Amino acid sequence: MIEFKNVTTIYDNDETIEILNGVNLNIKDGEFISIIGPAGAGKSTLLRLLTREISPHKGEIILDGVNLAQIPSNAIPLLRRKIGTVYQDFKLLSAKTAFENVAFAMEVCGADRDEIEIDVPKILGIVGLGDKLKSFPHQLSGGEKQRLAIARALIHRPRIILADEPTGNLDLVNSYDVVKLLMKINELGTTVILATHNREVVNAIGKRVISIEKGKVVRDQVENGKYVL
Amino acid sequence: MENFQESAKRIFNVGWTNFKRNSYLSMGTTGVMVLVLFLFSGLMSLNYLASQVVSGLEEKVDVSVYFKNDASEEEITMVKSDLELLGTVKNVEYVSKDQALNEFKERHAGDTLVQDSLAELDENPLQASLNVKAGDSSQYASIVTFLEGNKFRSLVDKINFYENEQVIARVLTISGGLQNWGFLLTMALALIAVLVTFNTVRLTIYSQKQEIEIMRLVGGSNWHIKAPYLVEGGMYGALAAVIVTVMFYPIAFFISPKIESLMPGVSLISYFVSNIFQFVPLIFFIGILLGVTSSFVAIRRFLKI
Repeated sequence: MIEFKNVTTIYDNDETIEILNGVNLNIKDGEFISIIGPAGAGKSTLLRLLTREISPHKGEIILDGVNLAQIPSNAIPLLRRKIGTVYQDFKLLSAKTAFENVAFAMEVCGADRDEIEIDVPKILGIVGLGDKLKSFPHQLSGGEKQRLAIARALIHRPRIILADEPTGNLDLVNSYDVVKLLMKINELGTTVILATHNREVVNAIGKRVISIEKGKVVRDQVENGKYVL
Repeated sequence: MENFQESAKRIFNVGWTNFKRNSYLSMGTTGVMVLVLFLFSGLMSLNYLASQVVSGLEEKVDVSVYFKNDASEEEITMVKSDLELLGTVKNVEYVSKDQALNEFKERHAGDTLVQDSLAELDENPLQASLNVKAGDSSQYASIVTFLEGNKFRSLVDKINFYENEQVIARVLTISGGLQNWGFLLTMALALIAVLVTFNTVRLTIYSQKQEIEIMRLVGGSNWHIKAPYLVEGGMYGALAAVIVTVMFYPIAFFISPKIESLMPGVSLISYFVSNIFQFVPLIFFIGILLGVTSSFVAIRRFLKI
């Protein structure tokens, strides 16, 4: 359960530049939410608030009854392990293989070698990269790279997946692959929040759609939402 | 979850892997640290040589008290024991008339003119004297004042302090200057060394900025992210220390005779060999401390969020 209460963020401590302006949102567990809006509307900001890369200037964000602003900084890594993140530019390590990229996420959280050996091939199998364990990112197609990034996001068994323009660098076919994967993850019970401005993708998903414009929620289609700005 | 031993192992493994994978950068960083540690070793050598020069100069300074011919040996011995009671006096050496003559003859052994002239004399023309060495060169003036007020003052013919006074004063200025400037120079160069190391390590870590960012985003705790870089920094320092130790001793061995020919009795190599158990750990300590501290400061910037 995620709650945004009257959230306002500013840019670079300058009160005159507001990114989000009084956003109120309620997201239930297991929902699939598409957040749409033109570039600069504040979609990414909304996602970055949840991982506490940034903090709101006013208002509060409540995740499972906990106000994110009150999490001490040494507990932020724990918050981030509950949330998997996927980016437009994949953020993969080019010098590491597919296996190592996912293993890396487990290593920095202190998983031991045995867990890694079991979990990583399993998760790569789920995203359809079971035969590419030893491939480097430059040997993968765009869609495969994004699926690898999703595998990495899933490795901590997060309850929430944030996807920031995951199809932004992909062609239509690959985009559908990635979206299908996200929907599959959602069906297994994970909350998915997808920020995008890809009309076809949003219309194909047909779930809750929230439109943001100039930092405000302008439309919230709870069911079978379409791409409307 | 892993236990402490496993995580220590992992931290060292990751640190070592980073060190290997970025071999080009590692070599650069280690190279800079080698130079820095050489600088430190050089400064240590310079400080040692300067202190040897100073103590050599101070060793040469003394005050001789010459006695009149009618002073008896007992009286002179009493002056000697009076002087030895002074805390500022390091030692007093008595040179009798005969000793003085013998030394004089020895010194001019090859000079037939001097030998012949001495043979002509019936009486020993030289005076008995006391050679006084102070613990500290600045104390000669007070020792001389003490002698002037002594009850045997009438037996004293002359005190050569007045001739040596200027030389003593100059030695004092030079040794003071050497120590002060040496200290300043050491501090300034040490500061430069620290800044250079810090910047080099910072560049190395900057090249792994992306990895650090991703580690943060996938929920690595600060300590888990930081520790391998601290280990990596320490490895640069330790490797540099190994290189410096291996190279420094042969270099000192070759330079040492050249210095000895300029400054007799000063042996650089035997100084560093006899202090090997202080010198080598010190170099390792400085190297590792520099590497770890630089990494620590450098990585803080990337862990802000």
